[in-house]
This record gives sequence, C-alpha cells and structure tokens, in this order.
Amino acid sequence: MKTNVDVQIPLITLVGPPNSGKTTLFNILSGKNYKTVNYPGSTVEYYTSRILSRYNINAELLDSPGIVSLIPESPDEKVAVDSLYSHPKLGVPDILLTTVDSCQLSRHLLLPKQLISAGFNVVVVLTMTDILAKRGKKVSESKLSKELNCDVVIVNGRSKKGLENLLEIINSKIDRLNEFDKNKITAYNSGENNKTSLGIFYEIEEILKKVYEPLNPDKKIDLVSANKELKVLKEEFSNDGFSPDELTLKIDRILLHRFWGFVIFLLVMGLTFTSIFWLAQPLMILVDELFTDLNSLVVQNFKPGWFTYLVSDGIISGTGSVLVFVPQIFILFLVLGLLEDSGYLARGAMLIDKPLSKIGLNGRSFVPMISGYACAIPAIIAARTIPNRKERLLTIFIIPLMSCSARLPVYALLIAYLIPKDKSWLGGIILGGIYLFSILTSVVVAFVINKFRKKIFTAEESSSFILELPTYKLPKLSSVISHTYNSSKQYIFRAGPIILGFSLVLWFLTYFPHISPQIETNGMSLGQKQNVERSERLEKSYAADLGKFIEPIMHPIGMDWRIGVSLISAFAAREVFVSSLALTFKVTTDDDQSQNTLLNSLREAKIQSTGEKLFTTATTAGLIVFFIFALQCLSTVAVSRKETGGWKIPILQVLIFTSLAYIMTFITVNGLRFFGVQ
Amino acid sequence: MRTAAELNYGEIGIISEIDSSHPSSKRIIEHGFTPGQTIELINKSIFNDPIAVSVRGTLIAIRKCEAGCIKLK
Ligand SMILES: Nc1nc2c(ncn2[C@@H]2O[C@H](COP(=O)(O)OP(=O)(O)OP(=O)(O)O)[C@@H](O)[C@H]2O)c(=O)[nH]1
Ligand SMILES: [Mg+2]
Repeated sequence: MKTNVDVQIPLITLVGPPNSGKTTLFNILSGKNYKTVNYPGSTVEYYTSRILSRYNINAELLDSPGIVSLIPESPDEKVAVDSLYSHPKLGVPDILLTTVDSCQLSRHLLLPKQLISAGFNVVVVLTMTDILAKRGKKVSESKLSKELNCDVVIVNGRSKKGLENLLEIINSKIDRLNEFDKNKITAYNSGENNKTSLGIFYEIEEILKKVYEPLNPDKKIDLVSANKELKVLKEEFSNDGFSPDELTLKIDRILLHRFWGFVIFLLVMGLTFTSIFWLAQPLMILVDELFTDLNSLVVQNFKPGWFTYLVSDGIISGTGSVLVFVPQIFILFLVLGLLEDSGYLARGAMLIDKPLSKIGLNGRSFVPMISGYACAIPAIIAARTIPNRKERLLTIFIIPLMSCSARLPVYALLIAYLIPKDKSWLGGIILGGIYLFSILTSVVVAFVINKFRKKIFTAEESSSFILELPTYKLPKLSSVISHTYNSSKQYIFRAGPIILGFSLVLWFLTYFPHISPQIETNGMSLGQKQNVERSERLEKSYAADLGKFIEPIMHPIGMDWRIGVSLISAFAAREVFVSSLALTFKVTTDDDQSQNTLLNSLREAKIQSTGEKLFTTATTAGLIVFFIFALQCLSTVAVSRKETGGWKIPILQVLIFTSLAYIMTFITVNGLRFFGVQ
Repeated sequence: MRTAAELNYGEIGIISEIDSSHPSSKRIIEHGFTPGQTIELINKSIFNDPIAVSVRGTLIAIRKCEAGCIKLK
C-alpha cells in the first residue's frame, strides 16, 4: 500500500548474486521472516518493508531475487532487474545494497561493477566473512572500497556483527541523497556484452590481488602448504590462491559420487517423505484424543438439541479432524526446511537434470517440484528460476500433481483406515509409496504433454542448465524452525476458517430441513434413539438431495452420495474433505457413543441401498488415487493463470487432472475388485 | 582442441576461450569462466551429465553440451 507520505521516503533496494545473503539481511533490517535458503534462487518475487524503527532509518527496503548480471535470463531475474529500472510504484532506488559473498568475490564482483558503471548509488555489503575467516582470510574493506570507488561494509548475516557500520553508512548516504542524480542512471549496455563482461573480470582479477589479506599474518605459510597438501589447485595455476571449500569437496566426494550419489539421493528423498508419517504419528494421536475428549464433554453436558449437534458435530469434529494433521504439516515443513538450508537441493537438481531433460523438464524444475509437496502456489511461482519458457510452463503444468500438504490429512486418514492397528509402521511406507506414485505419474504426464508441446507451448528456445552448487552449511536451526512455525500457522489460519465455514454450511445442509422422524423408537435407549433420528434426518436433508443428484457418477467408482458431497466440498480446500466426512459419517453411524472416532464411523458406514460396506480396501484405495490426481484447489488455478499469462494452461490442467482422477479411480476400484480385493 | 566437457576426474585445465556462437556463452562467462582461469572437474552425475567443475573457487554444475563451448589450452 502506498500513501503520500511513503513517496517521499527513500527506497533502499537489496540486489546481489543468488544465494549471497540478501534475504537474510532483509529480515535483519525489517524484522520480517522471509524464507532464507541455501539454494541459488530461493527468492523469486520482490517484497518491501519499512526498516525497523529501532534502527532509526526512515526508509522503504526492497528485497529482490538474485541476479548474476544486469542482463536477465529467467523471469525471476527479470523481476529483479525491472525493480531496479522500471518499478511502476516505487521508481528507481535511492540506495542499492549489493550483497557479495566474500568467499566468491572473484565471481560476485561482476554485478556491483555493472551496477556502479550504470550509475546506481551502490553500497557493497560483504557477507559470509565468517566462512572466509575459517579459511584464514579476510577482505580489506578500505582497499576494496578504494578499488571499487564505493562504500564497502562487512556484515555477518548470522551474528549481525557489523550491522552498526552498515546503518551508519546508510544514514550518511541518506543525508547526501541530493548529491546523487537518478537521471544519470543508464540502461546497461548489452551490445558488446561478452567483451564487456570479460573486461570486467580482468579488472576484478587485478582488484583481488590487493584486497585479500591473511587473517593472521603468521599463519600465511601454513595456508600455502595446506593448499598444496590438498592438491585442489596446483600452486602454479592458482591465481588468487582460492580453492573451493574443503569440507564441501569432501562431502561431495560422497554425495556426488558417480554411483552412490544417486543411490543416496533416492534414499534422502524416500526418507524425507516417509519420516513425515513416522515422526508425526505420536503427536497426531495426542491431538486426536484431545478433541475426542472435548467432544464427549460437550455431548455429556449439553442438552440434546440442534445447538449441541452444531457444537459437537459441526465445530469440534470439523476443526479437530483437521487440526489432527498439524503435526504432520509441521514436520513436512521442518524436514524440507532443513534439506533446503543444507545446500543439498542444488546437488539434487544436478543429479536429476538428465532424466528430467528427457521428459522436457530441467534440473531447475527439481526445487519447484519439491516445494510443491508443501504447497503448489509458491512452487508454481518458484518455477520462475527456469530460463527456458517451455520447460517452465511444463514444470508449472505438473506441479499440481505433487502431493501438497493439504492432501496429507486426507491420505493420513485413509491410510490409517487401511492398515491394521498393530502395523502402524506400514503407514510410513504407504505414504512413501503414494509420494513415489505421484512422482511417477507426474513423469508420465510430463512425458505425454511434452509430446504435444508444440500445440500447447509455442515457445522454442535452447535449453540450459548452469547452477552454482553452494557450500554446505549447517542449517540455521532457529530460522528453519521459525519459518516452519510460521508456515504451519499460516496453514491453520488459511485452512482453518475455510474448514470451519464449510463445516457449518455442511452441518446446516445435513441437519435441515429439520424433520422429526416418524419411526418406532420404543424399546431403544436414548442414545440409539438419537442416532436413528439423526440418520433419518440426514437421509432427508438438503445435502442428501444434492448428493443423490451426483450419485450416478459416484456409483461406478464404488462410492455413494455422502462421499460425493465430501468430494464437492473438497473443492473449497482439500482438507475440508476430512471434516466433511467426519460430519456426514459420524451422523449416520449406528454406534452408541457419539464420541466415537472418525475412523470407527467410517468402518461402520454402509451403502444405504445395498447394505454393503462403503469403505472397503478398494474404495479407500480409489479415494487415495482420486486425490493424487484431482486439481481441487482454486488458488492453484489462479496462480497458474497469472504465471503462465493466460487461461489455456490452467483450464487444461483442471480438465486433464479431474478427468484423469475419475478414470484412474474407476480403474483402481474395479481393478482391485476384479482381483478379488473388496 | 579440448573442451571442458572432455576433462577427466581431478584434471585441471586452463581456459583459452569461450565459443561465443553458443547461446549459453553469455551466462557461462558471467559465471566466471573466462580465458586464463583454471578449472577442475570435481564430479560427474551417474548419467555422466551434467558435470560439476570448480572455477574461481566455486563449484558449478553445467551440462556437457554447454561445457563444450569452454575451450581449453
Ligand atoms: N555463515 C553465513 N551464512 C550466511 C550469511 N548470510 C547468509 N547466510 C546463509 O546463506 C544462505 C543464503 O541466504 P539468503 O539470504 O537466502 O540469500 P539470498 O541472497 O536471499 O538468495 P536468493 O534469494 O536465492 O538469491 C542461507 O542459508 C543463510 O542462512 C553469513 O553472513 N554467514
Ligand atoms: Mg533471497
């Protein structure tokens, strides 16, 4: 939001090469909590915030996606460059904070040199100096500042050391803003670009000879001999004595091993997804019991009537059935977060590039696909890091097939239903299997769509994969956990109201028109009587009318109108499916205890016309398959439209994935029945 | 003339030029592959492609077809 006051305050923009610590610095200065990840390309959209008042700087701060140079290759880089030159609302930045990884000056100085020559008001912020110090080196701020002819300041993104110096420089820059003429900023000349870049690199090599200093002069000799011992770079070749991070090389000897590297990759991915189930199981049981107790408390202490049912069936069961899955979602975000911050994902992208390129994707599709397991929306946006348009569109196309966290509650419930109580370890394996299956299907879908690509995606450009492999870092636990906490909170606050709202609407639809059943209730206990009444009421409810309308479609896949109603409500948000099942099925079971868990209610449920069991192994498996394919998320459709720039792809996605869901469910249910599995 | 795509494990080469007719040449240069720099093949993926090379103290994964335009001395 812009007000008139905002227009006058200076705009400070963070730019820099990918993975150089921009977002980390943004979070420190703004007090925000955006995601920082040890992967080049974690930020793909710009965002702004006011600088924290305690720093006494009245300015707007903007974080941008990482760029290698001022000439963008991919959409995320375009976002960053556009925010420098032609931001529609904020205009040209008054000050540029250019983060530069001090261990990679030799590559990272290219961008600040381009920015300075284009006429921007640049402050170079040296990050990762703690890592450089471990190698026994430091950068001289004053010498670098002299060579570049701009302010240079060291800030440690993890310990915040050096922040005061940065604040001081910003303040003095703001005081001297009138000396800086925005009109002198020129577009970066792209004509003779290769030559220009080469020229800049030669200048950088000269600068580097002067700015690196040993941290501790006595140790200089040791370092040279240490480097020799490692034989990473023979001395005669080493121009600035720089070799890749030792530890990273050692780890990569295993993790990027020709053969074992790929085996480990598969293991890591497998463990990531199975652990979600295993780690969360004890917590889920806890939450489940809590809500069951709460429910029985209400039923016991309130008089039977519409209000009691509203509270117990509508509100408590509805929310409880979803909150049960918060532990799983928390663990999913946590495990993915740790993986992201370690630096491993870039390796994954490299290992999987070849197979992905065979089906029209790119190694860079890997990280968006993985984040699709948390949520499709940021994942689709993350596809901006893919330079080739065709590969980007295809990646966006298949992302809805990645089993997002909203599907987790559904799977967890259905899996728990499928497996015997004493074999809960099976759950993790089945969940792992579902993830594997969803990967395989997305591969097949990508392959098929790729065959028709000329019809769907018109762009044809050369494909490219060049990706920096960042040094391994111990994940910064505090930032991973706080990000996990925030994502889970967001999940609850985003899904929560929808679920609650739908639970209430569904409750209304299942409870009204309130018909007092005319049935023989003599000789029944109070509980039984209530239940008979409730199921009779549901039978005549509005929801039933709606459900029976779609029953002809549900019948071939072995399901009845009640599941149909739940599937329709799942279009609001997938999680609603579970709360909706809870509502319709807890009402219709004949069980005496209303504090019965949802699982038991499902076990009892029967198809009303035939009296057969409704949730058999076949239909449950069928439901899982339905959820693997169906695109039941309106926000995904909206983001897909925005990112692909048209309706064609989102419409195709909805049509293809929904019909695929129905057909595959049909095949699963009837196939299983054919082989004698009921 | 040899290219970076033909490097053996642990072998060090010195870049002589970048084939500027290749569409990726611009990005390759921007990543720091410039004439005179030493590069070393660090890892290969199981499919032999992409490869990971070190240049200017950083590991970079690059497809073989793109590494092919990095000519060595
Ligand atoms: N050791 C150390 N790590 C840092 C420092 N600054 C940032 N990091 C880590 O470096 C990684 C990348 O940081 P980000 O802030 O996400 O980098 P970015 O520039 O926003 O990256 P993109 O958005 O991908 O361009 C994260 O794992 C950070 O925790 C620092 O000064 N020292
Ligand atoms: Mg960032």
